[in-house]
Amino acid sequence: MKSEVLSRFDMPSLPLIALILFVVVFIGYTWWTLKPSRKSYFEDASKLPFEDDKSKN
Amino acid sequence: MSSTHSQNSSLTRRLETFSYDDQIVRWFVIATVIWGAVALLLGTTIAFQLAYWKVNGLGDLPWITFGRLRPLHTNAAIFAFCGNAIFAGIYYSTQRLLKTRLFSDALSRIHFWGWQLIIVAAALTLPFGFTQGKEYAELEWPIDIAIAGIWVVFAINFFGTLKVRRERHIYVAIWFYIATIITVAVLHIFNSLSLPVDFLKSYSVYAGVQDALVQWWYGHNAVAFFLTTPFLGLMYYFVPKAANRPVYSYRLSIIHFWSLVFIYIWAGPHHLLYTSLPEWAQTVGMVFSVSLWAPSWGGMINGLLTLRGVWNKVRTDPVLKLMATAVTFYGMSTFEGPLLSIKSVNAIAHYTDWIPGHVHAGTIGWNYMLTAGVLYFLVTKLWRTEIYSKKLAETQFWLATIGLVLYITSMWAAAFTQSAMWRAIDETGKLVYPNFIETVVKIVPMYWVRAFGGTFVFISFIIMMYNLYMTAKKGSVVDGEKLEAYALDESSIEKNAKPHRKLEGLTLVFSVLSLLAILVGSMIELIPTIMSYNYVIQKAEVKPYTPLEILGRDIYVREGCYTCHSQTIRPMAHEVLRYGKPSEAFEFIYDHPFQWGSKRTGPDLHRVGGKYPDMWHYRHMWDPREVVQGSIMPRYKWLFNSKINYNTLPKKLEVMATFGVPYSPEELQNGVALAEAQAKTITEGLVKSGAPSDVGNKEIVALIAYLQRLGTDYGRIK
Repeated sequence: MKSEVLSRFDMPSLPLIALILFVVVFIGYTWWTLKPSRKSYFEDASKLPFEDDKSKN
Repeated sequence: MSSTHSQNSSLTRRLETFSYDDQIVRWFVIATVIWGAVALLLGTTIAFQLAYWKVNGLGDLPWITFGRLRPLHTNAAIFAFCGNAIFAGIYYSTQRLLKTRLFSDALSRIHFWGWQLIIVAAALTLPFGFTQGKEYAELEWPIDIAIAGIWVVFAINFFGTLKVRRERHIYVAIWFYIATIITVAVLHIFNSLSLPVDFLKSYSVYAGVQDALVQWWYGHNAVAFFLTTPFLGLMYYFVPKAANRPVYSYRLSIIHFWSLVFIYIWAGPHHLLYTSLPEWAQTVGMVFSVSLWAPSWGGMINGLLTLRGVWNKVRTDPVLKLMATAVTFYGMSTFEGPLLSIKSVNAIAHYTDWIPGHVHAGTIGWNYMLTAGVLYFLVTKLWRTEIYSKKLAETQFWLATIGLVLYITSMWAAAFTQSAMWRAIDETGKLVYPNFIETVVKIVPMYWVRAFGGTFVFISFIIMMYNLYMTAKKGSVVDGEKLEAYALDESSIEKNAKPHRKLEGLTLVFSVLSLLAILVGSMIELIPTIMSYNYVIQKAEVKPYTPLEILGRDIYVREGCYTCHSQTIRPMAHEVLRYGKPSEAFEFIYDHPFQWGSKRTGPDLHRVGGKYPDMWHYRHMWDPREVVQGSIMPRYKWLFNSKINYNTLPKKLEVMATFGVPYSPEELQNGVALAEAQAKTITEGLVKSGAPSDVGNKEIVALIAYLQRLGTDYGRIK
């Protein structure tokens, strides 16, 4: 009987832990990204693909 | 350089001269085009094989059957075509984004030739039946080691380039490349772990449900980190370049990146819904798969809105048109994916043709279309000319689009038709279509439509090949052009830089964070399931395969039976009526590798043991149409000529014993004798039923032994 139960290896807490973990991480990097102080910096970064034309002789 | 840099300290900074290595990009471009044509030709061939069985040959040539060519097609499309496309795009954009030449010309060339040799090795092994029997990871262990080695070469070259860069900031495309390199290495190594029997045969170290979870953790993330993240990196570089305007929202691209990398790694179990995978793992897989919709569409919207203001150019410029279509199909397939991951939708869609339809919306619609756009962009830049013919590109675009729409819609129609027939139960509680073949015959017309759709896509590719060739021919190659950029040293960091600006420069920290993001999900999902092995093993009636059955199983794996037959019965009324008791985890503990499959072109085989007499299987493998009218299965005549290879049997049993499969000392000592004895018993029965008397040492006997054993220990059909 014990093996029957264990063979299901049910761990309902794991999906919950995973979701909480994700929400925390998500809030973290979203805050990091959306901070107003980073705005101009990201604007500069978005222009990087066009710099190779400028750096040529 | 960003403007702030040069204003602050341009006087103290050192100006350096360098040039790009564009030759290596051109090589990868050429390889992409060649292997792409091969992959599509193979795809079209196997599509016709499904429509008309004789395209498999009449049973004399083993290496052109569907079961052997299908793995070659998928490997060629993913690793040869998309692989080379990724390398071309990454090497081109990374040099420009980081204002430096690639770290090492020698490593670039080792990378290039190593990868091409791996592809050739795949083409020389898969058709000949050398396979590990796990989807998209079929290549045998020496090739797996070579892949790991070349991937490390690529990683050193790439991270070395980051080290010698002249641009402090790391553009978001590069983030996607970093995540790709790290994750593919982790996935490939852990899924390919196996013990060799000989030079071209090995067994997965995982068994049954564990093997299934590791495989689909790998399999789905091959989609995520080989067909998605690198191509998103390409999108974030090439779409702005082609449209000549920055990405719509750089901030959105960063949220897109972290969400995608964190969430994707969990999604694998949606390939195993309703199987004996632990319920909680299925739930995690489903929830995270559905969540994927959000970041995927964030990325799609970001890509499409980058084109705002240049929509008129999308009509006329083939590069933008192909890219815009690619991003649209990315949106479509990343909507369909989460939908298919919902358990109740999956119950209908799994094992049907909806899945190949979905896959090709992604690979043709997203990967091929984006690659086509990138190739036109690269060839015109690298050969310094204009597109040879916009008209041909337009023709290519329409052929590919129409072909793909035919593919997707025919597969939807086939899937709904077949799934409805599978699950139809009448008022007396019986299956309306008890013979599986009835549900196959019905959808064969759809297989024809798909084959013609595929042909359109193939022709579109050939047109592109010609167009690119003519473009390159009229252009010219100029290498070694001198460029200038400031060196990246202490003087290039502003005096009062905030901590995050410094972090931005620390590629190592960033790489570690990406690694953590994918490891968290992987570990929470994989470790408990792998640990549960000790508990699953308890059922006494489930016994290891006999020595002869092991040999039969190897033939089953060799012929790629898993590409059309599943081996796991879901707990649903119609499946129980059709196939028998739902499959349980403890039934698969000796399955190295698991053979659950992912598609039912033919019926499930988990409990086929004892369902038919030996002679039925004998006639069925000789010509399936002798016993199943209308069957589309190929003939396997060579199984009646080739002798059973007993030579490696002792070593095979030894490897299995190493995994903990409880073979008795007698079985390990006298494996060959036991196998021969079992073959003799089966042969006697066959000969009584009319088979020739020399069948005893032929492979068909071993295969029958295996098939007759399947699912009988626990759930024998009464």
